[in-house]
Amino acid sequence: MDPVILAVEECDFVNEPVCAPENVSELFVFETTLWNTPITRTIFLMGLAALIVVGVLYFAYRKPSLIRSKFQTAVDALTGFVRDEVAIGIIGPEGIKYFPYLLSIFMFILVGNLFEITPLINFPITGRMAIPAFLAVVTYVIFIIVGFAKNGFGYLGGIVWPKSVPWYMRWLVGLIELISYFFIRPFSLAVRLFANMVAGHVMLSILLVSGFVFLMNIPEIPVKGVTFGLLWFALGLAILVFELMVAVLQAYIFTLLSAVYIQSSVHPEH
Amino acid sequence: MDAVLALVNAATVLAQEAGGITGNLNVVGYGLAAIGPGIGVGIVAGNAVQAMARQPEVAGMLRVTMFLGIAFTEALALFGLLLFFIG
Repeated sequence: MDPVILAVEECDFVNEPVCAPENVSELFVFETTLWNTPITRTIFLMGLAALIVVGVLYFAYRKPSLIRSKFQTAVDALTGFVRDEVAIGIIGPEGIKYFPYLLSIFMFILVGNLFEITPLINFPITGRMAIPAFLAVVTYVIFIIVGFAKNGFGYLGGIVWPKSVPWYMRWLVGLIELISYFFIRPFSLAVRLFANMVAGHVMLSILLVSGFVFLMNIPEIPVKGVTFGLLWFALGLAILVFELMVAVLQAYIFTLLSAVYIQSSVHPEH
Repeated sequence: MDAVLALVNAATVLAQEAGGITGNLNVVGYGLAAIGPGIGVGIVAGNAVQAMARQPEVAGMLRVTMFLGIAFTEALALFGLLLFFIG
């Protein structure tokens, strides 16, 4: 049986409204394994998100026809948005080559972020640093390889010795550009998504759970229970609506910035 | 103004009687880190709104560039939040 549920059942919610089980480290032993790899909640949800993305795209484009049904129109709106605004709009006519990658990360991050507000799975998979870090590394590898493939070694020369700056400042601007391109861009891409999702998840957990605890203990602490309970719970619900907007926005911004970095490799003139 | 001074006095007296001000420096660090990006995002969004009011035809392109600018400046505030959890 789930060790978390067993540990929580030892808690006595009447006498100590906030309790911690004694052996916390036992909660981190994973007993479900698949060929000796532990399957955690994050891995399971990541597989579920991938399945949802593949399923939606498969069932929408299985029978392409000129008269689209309702579901096909909805998915068309999504893919058309990514193709017209992000892939071709930012990168230009050659952006259609990068469109499958941009659509994949957009839909995967969107579904992953929306898991934070779905009722039974209140956990964003992009809140574990491995997932945004890996996606940022993939974007990093893509824009470096594209830069060297399209421009040869002139790509690196164009970054550290920019010709569009007066000659006495080229070394400084070149150094700043080098650090920005190769170190800060992938790091900030990952941290932006990760920190947004973690902050939202922590705020939702604290507000909703503490509001619930206050409301559950109204008989013992009548005045504080009602005021703080209602206040924190209402604020938690407001933050829930805000998190919907943040989830969609962060998925869009990750995709947009990936397209901008690829565009700066394909057309490196500033 | 008098009420604010009285409140600050009361807070310092209480802290000194309790043996000094304790707490986590992480919180102060994050608070300081959030000043700059707050002003920055305000500047970006304000200029975007002004530009959209001057020329509504290019509102689409301006919206995309505004999101880009907000993402870049907000990243610094999120570095602060990350270091709050790590530090």
